[in-house]
Amino acid sequence: MIMGLSMDKVVVCFGLISLAHSAYSAAQHRAYLRLTEQSFTSLPLDVLVQCFVSFVLTCYGIVRVVGKFKEINSATELEKRSWETMSNRPAFYCFNHRGKSLYRNCEEEDAQLQQRSFLKNS
Amino acid sequence: LSKDSNVLHFYFSEARDRLKQIREEQSRSSREVVDIWEQFLSYFSDKLGNDVWPVYEQVCIAACDCGEISLAHRCVRELNRQFPKSFRVKGLEGMVLEANQRYDTAEHLYKTILQDDPTNSVAEKRLVVIYKSQNKIKEAITELRKYLDSHMADTDSWLELSDLYLSQMDYAHAAFCLEELILANPHYHLFHQRYAEIRYTQGGTENLLEARAYFSQAIKLNPNNIRALYGLFLCASNLATKQRSAESKNMKYAAWAAEQISQLYRKLGGRGTKSSSDSTEQIKALGGMFDKLQLTSS
Repeated sequence: MIMGLSMDKVVVCFGLISLAHSAYSAAQHRAYLRLTEQSFTSLPLDVLVQCFVSFVLTCYGIVRVVGKFKEINSATELEKRSWETMSNRPAFYCFNHRGKSLYRNCEEEDAQLQQRSFLKNS
Repeated sequence: LSKDSNVLHFYFSEARDRLKQIREEQSRSSREVVDIWEQFLSYFSDKLGNDVWPVYEQVCIAACDCGEISLAHRCVRELNRQFPKSFRVKGLEGMVLEANQRYDTAEHLYKTILQDDPTNSVAEKRLVVIYKSQNKIKEAITELRKYLDSHMADTDSWLELSDLYLSQMDYAHAAFCLEELILANPHYHLFHQRYAEIRYTQGGTENLLEARAYFSQAIKLNPNNIRALYGLFLCASNLATKQRSAESKNMKYAAWAAEQISQLYRKLGGRGTKSSSDSTEQIKALGGMFDKLQLTSS
């Protein structure tokens, strides 16, 4: 693993140096043309090939160096939501349910209890 | 004194954040909301600034849920003072009327809203709820279908319609609603799961095959969906008893689902505070339960 990673780093370095070298070669070629007063048509084939190959090598190395790819998962956000929150629709709240009597009784009982304890204490 | 005010401020921000959390999660913790408001936050309502208006709305709905009509009225009054001509506040007013079981008045109110603003979706939805609260499910369904004709992208309404159909045991139509939802949200595992559940409830080999496929899709979208795993297990073991020719494959699916479920339990058992012996016992119990489920399905 560590060996592989360092290999990838070597590939990246080599690719970058080679890319810089091909750029330098291209500049040299232009300078040579200017000195010999020829008109520029295209770069020599070896420079083009070197440029392309080193570019591909660099791309490959960088992709390997930055780490493993992660799966594109469209549902990661949705995974956390439960059916309970999903099926809870505020626009469709229906108030005709047990909550009314449930909580009212609770409060009345509380009040009664409080009253009773108050009477006892007094 | 400054320490006291610091403590108060701490409680204040905690209460405010909790209410906000409930709003965003859309959970129906109505009693909690009312308690937070009545026991604490109502004394600091001016401290909330402009945040106070959504809080009033939230508390109003929660109060309707708990049958605290006077509190709901108070909230609506405050909101009315701030936004005198708002349809949203009028909708809330209607909700309070509904909670007070004055359905005719509420219906009239919603209809006047709709006259002024024919595209007001809240009022239309509340009309459906009025029918539902009076247990007129058939009318509610026709009303909701009328609404969905013009608002086909409203997922909440499709879900509501499917629930209404389910309450009438009309599984075919309920399944259709879920199909619409799956079309709108193909990556949402819960819709696939729900659709599969409806198909499973319908029964019959064909529906079970369909249910098996949709449970599998739900598991693929979310491998931690225990309910879908159980569904796949039940479908596969059910089909195994029905289809003799494809028996081996269905048994394999069922075994796979059972294995996934016990693995998930093992993972969760390891994470919790319970001792490992506890979790192994649970997994043993799980194995016994799988055997029983298979027995009942044969």
